[in-house]
Amino acid sequence: MSELTLLVLRIGFLLVLWGFVFAIIYALRSDLLGQRPRRMPAAAGGSPAPVPAPAPARTQAQEPALTEPVSAPVSDALPGRLVITSGAKEGTELDLGRETLTIGRSGDSGLVIRDDYTSTHHARLMVWNEEWVIHDLDSTNGTFLDGRRVTVPTPVPLNTPVKIGTTTFELRR
Amino acid sequence: MSTEAVSTATGLQNLTGVITLKLRTPSRLRNLELGLLLFAIAINAGSFVLVQFGVLGQVEPGMLTASFALAGLALAVHVALRISAPDADPLILPIATVLNGTGLAMIYRLDLAKGFEGWGAASVRQIVWTTLAILIATAVLVALRNYRVLQRFTYVAMFSAIVLLLLPLVPGLARTDDVAAKVWIDVAGFSFQPGEIAKIALGVFFAGYLVQHRDSLAVGGRKLLGMRLPRVRDLGPILLIWAAAMGVLVFQRDLGTSLLYFGLFLVMIYVATGRLSWVLLGLGLFLGGAIIASQTLVYVNSRFTVWLDAFNPQYADGDAYQLVQGIFGIAQGGMVGTGLGQGRPSIVPLAESDFIIASLGEELGLAGLFALLALYLLLVSRGFRIGFAGRDDFGRLLAVGLSFVVALQVFIVIGGVTRVIPLTGLTTPFLAAGGSSLIANWIIAAILLRLSDSVRNQPRLVVGP
Repeated sequence: MSELTLLVLRIGFLLVLWGFVFAIIYALRSDLLGQRPRRMPAAAGGSPAPVPAPAPARTQAQEPALTEPVSAPVSDALPGRLVITSGAKEGTELDLGRETLTIGRSGDSGLVIRDDYTSTHHARLMVWNEEWVIHDLDSTNGTFLDGRRVTVPTPVPLNTPVKIGTTTFELRR
Repeated sequence: MSTEAVSTATGLQNLTGVITLKLRTPSRLRNLELGLLLFAIAINAGSFVLVQFGVLGQVEPGMLTASFALAGLALAVHVALRISAPDADPLILPIATVLNGTGLAMIYRLDLAKGFEGWGAASVRQIVWTTLAILIATAVLVALRNYRVLQRFTYVAMFSAIVLLLLPLVPGLARTDDVAAKVWIDVAGFSFQPGEIAKIALGVFFAGYLVQHRDSLAVGGRKLLGMRLPRVRDLGPILLIWAAAMGVLVFQRDLGTSLLYFGLFLVMIYVATGRLSWVLLGLGLFLGGAIIASQTLVYVNSRFTVWLDAFNPQYADGDAYQLVQGIFGIAQGGMVGTGLGQGRPSIVPLAESDFIIASLGEELGLAGLFALLALYLLLVSRGFRIGFAGRDDFGRLLAVGLSFVVALQVFIVIGGVTRVIPLTGLTTPFLAAGGSSLIANWIIAAILLRLSDSVRNQPRLVVGP
């Protein structure tokens, strides 16, 4: 082993080590620089594959949701659905379950709203004391419950419009 | 395949079922992981080859298999992830593999310098421990399908942590030879540091406890200097943890472990309540305790003297010998290091465990050391990211706590070796020789992977372009 070979190997190893570091940084660039908008199917199951042509079904989608009976049976159960009542996906609905739903422009939110008025991490919808509570995460343009801006975590009653950016949704049973 | 929400209540149910089956292609993450993992394996093989070139001048296939053993284990974890946690974070496993492999290569290099072979060699034992650690981590990953189960064991975790902390003080188990810190136990010929495992138990306990009690802890009390202090009656827990940390300091004579546990609690209570006053209060308590300890306890006092006055000839050949030699080694390494296998890191006592950073600094130089630190930074940032994206508070706190404990440990060890803070006997996560540390850190990696699999759900609904 000549000195020169060892020198080259030694510098090479350091370069490769840094190459690994930068490979990892490159792999998480979407985390650092924000995700490029990607089209997602509006399915509730959390399926990740992008779908090329998502638009046409929308008009069909809003019909059944709007004809849904609004007056729900009186019971103590939590509202189970979130229905978009205005905005780009009007009429779409989402099964809530009991898990916290994060809302924002970033791709890791549960409900992603991509418009100019929504913050990256805009708001959070969660169950507190057996009711759904909306929690604004210091968003720039605010979250509006029935027209009033939400400043503290506020319970969301049934069929009350919540407005985030250009999208409005309601909770229904 | 237009899967736009055609959503009558029943239609949605049926459709979702079909979609989940058809479109579930999370392999993108796993393929990324596989690519990075192969890169990591190549780096590990490279470091072993370089060590052999540097020390022996030729490649010797015998110990080279060690790096292949680690490679095989890492690939096994990868397969386990593909099956049981396909949405898990793709970066944690490759980073841990590189760190573990680099440490292994350096330990092997020190064995070559000291002429150790077979079971006497720390590297051979380290391979066995690595195997065990990765197998345990895989078992945790597979068995812990739902991390929320851990929340049920909040108080069990507390008691296990206390028991693990007390074990080194039990007469029959405590290691008998004369080491400064009483953090070791000897069982059946193996020595083990139960405090390493205790940090995971403490992470689980703090997360579970703070999720339940943070509302009252977040309530402000009196205002002082523009900062709202916690109420006096809420001070119980922090005083208790402080007393425990001081107990570790006094009875186990281990400043590092004590700082590690207390720092973990402070960060988790800060994350849970969002009140800086807790952190300032805690730091004040700890500093006060440490200063009193440094005045009254002989061993803490000597640690402080050695730290502040290391190059005094009076200490440089005595108590500060290890510290000073480590710093000389790092200085010898300079910007790009002497090259693997070409320095003399074995001069430093405990070069393969406590001072592995000094050994790596000598042979890989500033450039190599910073690459390793960058890897730690990335690992910890992944953990914080997992916590940030978490859906429930327990998972968030647990992810933040476990990744912070790795960060704090790295800081305490490297800070000690480089004389930023007093030297303490903690291990560098993944790098240093030592089974308990490897097992604990691989379990942390497994829990983070499990958490990330649960939180990295794709959006449930996307509104907009």
